[in-house]
Amino acid sequence: MSSATETASRSLSRTYDYLFVGRSRLQQVVVAAGLVALLGLVGAAVFFPETAAADLVAVLTDSSTLAATLRLSVPIAFAALGGIFAEKSGVINIGLEGLLIIAAFTGIYATDVTGSVWFGLFGGVVASTLLAALFAVVCIEFKADQIIAGLAVWLIALGLAPFASTVVYGGKTSASVATLPTVTDMGLPFVSAFVTTELGFVVDLPVFGVLDLQSSLVGLPFFGALFDAGPAVYLMFVAVALSWYTLNRTAFGRWVRASGENPKALDTAGVNVHRVRYAAVLLSGVLAGVGGAALALGIGQFTGSGPTMVNGKGFIAIVAYLFGNYNPIGAFFSTILFAGLDATQLTLQARDVFQVPRPLVRTIPYVAVIVVLALFGRTRLPSAAGDSYDSGEGE
Amino acid sequence: MSASDRARSAFERIVTASGVERLLISVSALVLSILIGGVIVLAAGRMADCGTAAYRLALPGSFVTQFTGGSAVVAMGFCYDPIAVYDLLFLGAFGDVLGDPTNGQFATTLAETTVLAFAGVAVAVAFRAGVFNIGAQGQLVVGALTTAVTLLFVAPLFGGLGVLGTVVVLPLGLLLGALGGGLYGALPGALKAYADANEVITTIMLNFVATSVALWLVNDSSRFKDPDSFSNQTVPLPEFSQFPSVFFRARDDFSVVALAVGVLTLVGVWYLLTRTSFGYDLRTSGIQPDAAEYGGVDADRTVVASMALSGALAGIGGAVYVLMMLGNFQTGVPTYGFDGITVSILAGNNPLGVGFAALLFGVLKSGSIVVQVGSDVPPELVGVLRGLIILFVAMPEFFRMAGRRFDSLLPEREEPQGAVATDGGVSDE
Amino acid sequence: MTDTDAAVRLESITKRFPGVVANDDVDLTVERGTVHALLGENGAGKTTLMNVLYGLYQPTSGRIEVDGETRTFDSPRDAIDAGVGMIHQHFMLVDTMTVAENIALGNEPRKYGGLAVDQDATREGVVELSERYGFDVDPDQLIEETSVGVQQRVEILKALYRGADVLILDEPTAVLTPQEVEDLFAVLEELTDQGKTIIFITHKLGEAMHAADDITVLRDGKHVGSVAADETSREELAELMVGREVVLEIEKPDVDVGEEVLSVDSLSVTDDRDVEAVSDLSFSVREGEVFGIAGVDGNGQSELVEAITGLRNPESGSVAFDGESITWDSRRERIDAGMAYVPEDRQERGLVMEFDLVENGILGSQHADPFASGGRIDWGESRVHAERVVEEYDVRPPDADADAVSLSGGNQQKFVVGRELERDPRLVVATHPTRGVDVGSQEFIHDRLLDLRADGRGVLLVSSKLDEVRGLSDRLAVMHDGDVMAVVDPDEVTEEQLGLLMAGERPEEIPHADSAAPEGVEP
Repeated sequence: MSSATETASRSLSRTYDYLFVGRSRLQQVVVAAGLVALLGLVGAAVFFPETAAADLVAVLTDSSTLAATLRLSVPIAFAALGGIFAEKSGVINIGLEGLLIIAAFTGIYATDVTGSVWFGLFGGVVASTLLAALFAVVCIEFKADQIIAGLAVWLIALGLAPFASTVVYGGKTSASVATLPTVTDMGLPFVSAFVTTELGFVVDLPVFGVLDLQSSLVGLPFFGALFDAGPAVYLMFVAVALSWYTLNRTAFGRWVRASGENPKALDTAGVNVHRVRYAAVLLSGVLAGVGGAALALGIGQFTGSGPTMVNGKGFIAIVAYLFGNYNPIGAFFSTILFAGLDATQLTLQARDVFQVPRPLVRTIPYVAVIVVLALFGRTRLPSAAGDSYDSGEGE
Repeated sequence: MSASDRARSAFERIVTASGVERLLISVSALVLSILIGGVIVLAAGRMADCGTAAYRLALPGSFVTQFTGGSAVVAMGFCYDPIAVYDLLFLGAFGDVLGDPTNGQFATTLAETTVLAFAGVAVAVAFRAGVFNIGAQGQLVVGALTTAVTLLFVAPLFGGLGVLGTVVVLPLGLLLGALGGGLYGALPGALKAYADANEVITTIMLNFVATSVALWLVNDSSRFKDPDSFSNQTVPLPEFSQFPSVFFRARDDFSVVALAVGVLTLVGVWYLLTRTSFGYDLRTSGIQPDAAEYGGVDADRTVVASMALSGALAGIGGAVYVLMMLGNFQTGVPTYGFDGITVSILAGNNPLGVGFAALLFGVLKSGSIVVQVGSDVPPELVGVLRGLIILFVAMPEFFRMAGRRFDSLLPEREEPQGAVATDGGVSDE
Repeated sequence: MTDTDAAVRLESITKRFPGVVANDDVDLTVERGTVHALLGENGAGKTTLMNVLYGLYQPTSGRIEVDGETRTFDSPRDAIDAGVGMIHQHFMLVDTMTVAENIALGNEPRKYGGLAVDQDATREGVVELSERYGFDVDPDQLIEETSVGVQQRVEILKALYRGADVLILDEPTAVLTPQEVEDLFAVLEELTDQGKTIIFITHKLGEAMHAADDITVLRDGKHVGSVAADETSREELAELMVGREVVLEIEKPDVDVGEEVLSVDSLSVTDDRDVEAVSDLSFSVREGEVFGIAGVDGNGQSELVEAITGLRNPESGSVAFDGESITWDSRRERIDAGMAYVPEDRQERGLVMEFDLVENGILGSQHADPFASGGRIDWGESRVHAERVVEEYDVRPPDADADAVSLSGGNQQKFVVGRELERDPRLVVATHPTRGVDVGSQEFIHDRLLDLRADGRGVLLVSSKLDEVRGLSDRLAVMHDGDVMAVVDPDEVTEEQLGLLMAGERPEEIPHADSAAPEGVEP
C-alpha cells in the first residue's frame, strides 16, 4: 500500500521535473496553461455535457482516436528513434523523410512481388538502409554538409519513389496490396484468444454498488485499442524500449553519445568514431525503414503525388525527438502528442463535430510543430552534431 | 619571390580559388548525376514491361571472355534507352530553336528558367547568410496567391488606361508578391533569430501550411474560387495586368519582359551581396557568425532581414508565375522552391551563377514534358536528378579526392588549424 | 626493476606533414619510474612527437620501442594495449557523462554476455583505482560539473584504468593555478613511486627543473639535448630552448595621463554556462596609460573583455566610455565610438577566414567612413587600407588578395593587430596582442601600442606573458577567479608577488599602484 503511494508520488514528481524543471519561465507558463486547459476541458465536459467541450472530450476519449493515434505514431516514432541514434552520434539526419518515402514505396513493391507483407516490410527496411548508407558515406567519408546531404536524400526519394511507381504501376499511386493484419486477425494461437476472451469483473464497491464489467480486452473503453492494434504498433513499443536500453545501458550507446559530444575523446579511448557513426546512421535507416514500410502496408497502397503519403512525417519526427530531448521515451510521448493531434483532426472531420474547414484542420499538426519548436527549440544539441570528424592525421 | 614563383602562386590561386573549384565541382556533380540517372533509367527499364527492347547492351566477346571465360556475347535488353531519353530531355527543350527561335517548347524553357531564377536566387541569398531556406516553395505560393487575389480587386480600377494600366498594375503585382513572400519568409527568420527554432524544420512546415491555406482560399466560391471553374483556382486576371508577350506567341505563356526583370534581379542581388555594407554583413554572418558579431553585425537582425529578402525574391517568383504563365492562381504549384534549392547549390550560391543553373533546370523541366510525350519514361526522372545533383555538390571532398587521385589538379585546401605548425612565431608565453 | 631499463625509447623519429617537418630525426629515452620533461617552445614539435608515441600519428620514419620491444602503433588503441596513456592539453572528456563513464569509455566492463555495461563494476573499478593512488573524485559526478583540476585527475585515472604504465601529459599545468600545479606534481611523484613512468610536455623551464628527473629539449622539431634535472641550470636550458639570447627590453617614455577613457564599475558577468566569471569588478583606464591585466587564463579575463567590447551582456554593473554609459550599447556603437579590439581568438573572431585581406581589412568598419558611404562599399579605398596594414605590420606574404586562411597564425595576428591599431581609436582593448608573433614584429607592436599611449589614447592590455604585461603597463591588475586581487605598480612588484596574487593569495607587502597619479607623473 505504502509502496504504491510511494511509486505514485515518485512518478508524479518525476513528471513534474520533466515538465517544469530546467525550462524557461515562458515554457513553464505554456506547459502550465496547457495542463490547466486540459483540466478545464475535462471539467467542462463533466459538468456541462451538452457543450462543444463535451463533444471534443468524447472525440478525444474515443477508442478509435487512440487506435488512430497509435497507427499514425508508427512512422513518426520509428523515424524519431532513428534520428536520435544518428544525431546522438554526431550526424544530423534531416533525410528521415526521404527514408520513410523510399521504404513506403519499396514496402508496397516488395509485397506486390513476393506476395507477403512480411517480405514487403523487410524490403522497405533494406531500401531505407541502403539510402541511409549512401547518406552515411557522403557525410562521414566525404565530409559533406549534413544538412544539405540530408535534403538531398529527401529530394532523391521524393523523385525516385513516384518515378518508380510510375514505371511499375503506370501512375504515382501504386496498386493495392495486402495490409498488415491486426493481432486479432493474425490468429496467433494464444494472443488472439486472450485479447478477445470475455472477462468477467464483478467488483463490490461500497458507494456505487456492484460494478459489473463484462467485456473483452479489445472491448475495453478507450484502452481497448491497445489490444487490437497492428503488429507495427507493438513493434514500436518494443523499439522504443530497446532504443532506450541501447542508448543508456550498452557500451554501443555510450560510444554513440560520446561520438556526438566529443568524438576526439572516443577516438583517443581507442574506439573508431567513423565506425560508430556508420552504425548509428545505418540503424536510423533500419528504424525509419520499418516506419515507412509499416505506414504504407497499414494502408496497402503507396501514394506518391505531391509530398507523397509520408507528408512531412519525417520532419515531424525530428521535432518529436528534439521535444523529447533525445530521449527515446520522451520522443515517443511527443510523437503521441503530434499523432494524437492528427488523429483528433481526423476524427473531428469524420464526425463533423466542428464546422472548421478541412484544409485548415489539416494544418494543425504542422502549426503545432512550429509552436513547439519556437517554444522548446533551444534544446541542447550534441556538441559535435553536424561536424565531420577527422582524426587529425594529415595524410 | 622570383617571377616564376609568383606566376606559379598565381596559377595555384586560380585553381584553388573557390569560384573555379566550385564550377569544376558543379560540372562534375552534374555529369555524375546524369550518368547515375542513366543507370536508373536502365534499371527502370528492367522493371517495366514492354514488348521489344528499346535499348540493348551487348558486350563484345573478347571483352566478356577475358573476365568470365564463358559465353562469347552477353546481351541484355532494356525497355528504355537512356541516350534517347537524354536526347529528348536536353535537346527537346529547345525545340527547333535555330529554325524558329520563338517556338513553343523553347518559350516554355525560358518561362521555367525565369521563375526558377527567382526561386534559386531566393535560396542563394539565405544560404549566403548562413540560413537554410527550404521554404522558398511556401513563400512562392504565398507570393503568387497575394498577387492573384489582391490584383483581382485592384486591377479593375486601372482598366481603361491601356498600356499605362500595365505599367502601374504589373509592378504593383510584383511588389505584392514580394510583400507576401517576404513576410512569410521573415516569420521563420524571426523564429530562428529570437526563439532558436531551426529554420529547416519551420520552413518545411510552413510549406505545408501555405499549400493547405491556399487550397482553403480557392476551394470555395464564397472565398476566392472562380465559380465558373471546376478546379480550384481564382478568377483570371485581366489581360493588361499580365506580362505582355513580346516576340513570342501569347499562348506560349512566356514574356521577354519577365526574363529581363529576372536578369536585372540577379545582377541587383549580386551587387547587393558584393558591393554594399548590407551584403558584407550578410556574407560575414553566413560564413563566420562569431567574426560577424565581432565586426559589429547584429546577427539576429541579419537573419530576419536575409530571410525577408529571400522570401520576397521567392514571392516575386510566385507573382511572375501568376502574371506570366497562369493568369490566375491555381492549386498544385510546381515545386519551384525545391528546384530553387538545387539551382542555388549548383550555382555555388552565386547570384550570377544562378542564372546559368536556372537555365539548366529550365531545360530539364521543359524537357521532361518532351520526355513524357515522346517516351514511356516518367518525367519524375527530373526529380531524381534534382536530388542527385544536390547530393554530389554537397560532397566537394569526393571530387577533391578524385581530382587528387587522377590529376592532382585540385590541391587540398589547408585547414585553418594546419597553419599552427608553420606559425612564424616564437612563443606563446 | 632497475634504473637503467628504459620504459620508452624513440629512435630517429621523423614526422612530416604536407609542407612541414614537425619532427626531424628525434631520439628520446625515458627511464622506468621517472618523470621526464619534454621541453621546448610552442611549435617545437613536442606534442607531435608524443602523438606519434601514442599512435595518433604514424611516424614518417623511425622506431618506437616500449618495454624493450619494437612497436608499431596504428591507433591509440595499440598504444593503450602496450601500456602507453596520454593526457591531452584539451581534455578528451565527454561533458555530459559521469566521471566513471568517462574513465571506462571504450573499455566498459560488460554483463549479460556483453550486451550491457556493468555499471556497478565500472564504479567499483574507479573507486578502487582512485583509492590506490589517493585521488579524490566522485565517480557519479557529471564532468561538466567538475573543476579543471578534477578533470585532469579523471584523465589520469582514465589512462591508469586502461593499464597505462607510461603516462604522457601534454602541458598539464597550462590551465592550473600554482597551487593546483603543486598538487599535480605530488600526484606525479606518487605515481612514479608506484612504478609508473611519466613524460610531461612543457614550455616552462622552471617546471621542468622542479618536477622532472630528466629533461629533453626540442627545438624546431629537432632534439637539441637531454640532461638530468639536477645537473643543469636555467641558463643552460633557456639557451637550448631558444638557441639565442632573447631579452625583452621595453622602454616606455613618460606620458601625462588625462581623463578616464574607460571606466568599469561593479561589473559582474557570467560565462556561457551561467556561472559568474567576473564578480563586482571596478577599474578605469585613462588617456595616455596602458592598464594591464595579468592572470592565469580562464580567470574571467575573456568574459570581462567581452562585456567591455560589447560581445557579452553583463549581469550587473556598468561600463562607461568617455564618461558616458555604454553598458547596453551594441558592438557596432562601441566600434563607432572609437573602441579598437584585438580579440583573443583571431581565427574565430578577428578574421573571416574565407575572406581575403582586403575584405578583412574593413571588418568592423564596413559601415563607416572612408570605406562605405550610402550603404555602398568603396573597395578601392579598402584595398589601399589593407595594403598599408600589410606593409606596415610586415604581414607575409605581402599580398592583400590572399585569403586569411592561407596565412600562418603569426601573420594573421599581425594583420588583426594592424587593422585595430590603425583605426585611430580612443581606446585599444588588446588581448594577447603578440601571441604567435615573431620577435621583430613583437617589438613593432609594442612600439605602436606605446605610440598610441603617447598620443593620449587609452590601452587595456590583457596578456598572459608576464614580461610583456609588466613591461608595457603603467598599472597592472592581477585577476583571479573573476576578481582583481590588486592593482600593482608593475615596476616595483616582484615575480614572486605576482605569482601569489595570480594564485589568489594576498602577500603582506605589495607595491600598490597609485591610482591618482601613476609613476612618471608623481612629484
